[in-house]
Amino acid sequence: MELTELFKLAGIVIVVAGLALRLRPTLVVVTAGVVTGLIAGLPLLSSEGVVSGLPYLTREGQEGIVNMLGRAFTENRLMTLFIITLPAVGLAERYGLQEQSARLIRRISAATVGRLLVVYQLFRVTMGALGIRLLGHPAFVRPLVFPMSLGAAEAEAGVTDVEKLPVREVERIKAADAASENYGNFYGQNLSPVQAGILLVYGTMKGLGYEVSVWRLVLFTVPIVVYSIVIAALQFHLLDRAQRRTFGELREGAGE
Amino acid sequence: MNTLSTVFNAVFSLDTVYVLTGLVLWVFAWLNLRDRHHSRRRGSALFWFILGLIFITGSLLPHWLTGALVLLMVVLDGAGRVGHRGASDETTKTGQVEQKERTLGNRIFLPVLLIPAVTFALALVFRALGADANRGALVGLGLGGVVAMLAGVALTKGSAGEAFREGRRLNDSMGAVIILPQLLASLGIIFTASRVGDLVAAGIQGIIPEGNLFLLVAANCLGMSLFTMVMGNSFAAFPVIAAGVLVPLIIRPFGVDPAMAAIITLTAGSTGTLMTPMAANFNIVPTALLNMRDQYGVIKFQIPFALAIWALHVLTMWALIRLL
Repeated sequence: MELTELFKLAGIVIVVAGLALRLRPTLVVVTAGVVTGLIAGLPLLSSEGVVSGLPYLTREGQEGIVNMLGRAFTENRLMTLFIITLPAVGLAERYGLQEQSARLIRRISAATVGRLLVVYQLFRVTMGALGIRLLGHPAFVRPLVFPMSLGAAEAEAGVTDVEKLPVREVERIKAADAASENYGNFYGQNLSPVQAGILLVYGTMKGLGYEVSVWRLVLFTVPIVVYSIVIAALQFHLLDRAQRRTFGELREGAGE
Repeated sequence: MNTLSTVFNAVFSLDTVYVLTGLVLWVFAWLNLRDRHHSRRRGSALFWFILGLIFITGSLLPHWLTGALVLLMVVLDGAGRVGHRGASDETTKTGQVEQKERTLGNRIFLPVLLIPAVTFALALVFRALGADANRGALVGLGLGGVVAMLAGVALTKGSAGEAFREGRRLNDSMGAVIILPQLLASLGIIFTASRVGDLVAAGIQGIIPEGNLFLLVAANCLGMSLFTMVMGNSFAAFPVIAAGVLVPLIIRPFGVDPAMAAIITLTAGSTGTLMTPMAANFNIVPTALLNMRDQYGVIKFQIPFALAIWALHVLTMWALIRLL
């Protein structure tokens, strides 16, 4: 392997170091991209329009780094589409969305954070199997799952205000909420032969000379989906148990 | 019928929801600019204005110009000119609001339930019409946001201004990290054009002991996980690992079922997705959406799960190769 080839890994080094040092992630990522592109000998701009044929900045027949940046940013606007839901979620929060979620959950005494998240993950796997992509974090987790899980924790701890819950526990609940969405989404979607994951594998393997059946791909993803549900249920159960202990102490402390 | 479908396609298109999202961003930019108590109001306003501009005109602008605008946004954020408010910036409630909150009760769920309901409904409608259901879900999320806001305003008898002020509160609490997934997508494209993937595959081929099936399977799954962590996306990593490791070192020499080995390799990559900040839309944006203190809180929670399921991937693939 040539040394100049290895320099292409500079981008990966920049990303790892930059994120470890907690520098602005936007700046780190773009710097890594530009540096990697330049080391690999890509031009800054495509040779077209007014800059056509410009020395150093362009090279005939190659897409420029700035052009790639613009193209990818434009084509991936869908990743940031959730901004449009913020006014509705914000307004509902102002008129008591979280407080009401808590009240509702408190009436269902069997509800715990962990059980709620198992149910949500199963729902997410089902949606994936039906071939429906949901953008769960903005559409479900932030507006619904999060306030409901906080409500379950408040009921467990016997408090009526989220401020009275230990910050560390609230942070763990938030992390678990987001994780249940990812667990359900990542593994569930391969149960549908029309979702992007299966189609990508089908297309790639065909390109490599193997014509595989999409249904056979779905078949062999079943054990993995089962693992994901079992391991997650175990993790959420352990979360419940740890929180029951913490909240029990909280209750006793309040009773004194 | 033809005009009807043309109208349908125009109204229910991704471009429509992109323009609507851009307009919402312009309102946020305007509210930032008008906020006299905001120490970085000019930089913040400019940042959200540019993002709105890219949302509205992105399909028309030449890519080099969009790229230059993106660089400007990143410089603004890098120079600390974009405001970011912490979780402490809670909504301020007047007595009037609290009274309304009590009379509303469970009806406050109606507007937020409309978001997933419309998302889901449009996905089904698109599918029934033979169109792309995933596009339907995206259009549904966009239109669902608008419908939910209108329903919320009607329900609370508030105003659109109130909704936008609350939306801006949430938007500012996330800050510039919102655009990270889009930036990572471009990083992936640059990595691919620079042939970083070939380098990774060559590196793995160099260290794998040939002939030992179990170690080969483990190296394949490890390579897939690690490369996914770098790319932030198992879909970007799979073609590289499949062509560089899976097919030449496992499927071809051992005559392995290609469907089984391929799909298990793909989800071994999902394990990597759970552990990397490069998958920002799954791991970093949620921490912003939920106002978490630790930017890596979601990843830390997912690591034990990821390690456990990774080990099961290796064992399952190895066992299935032996059995089939």
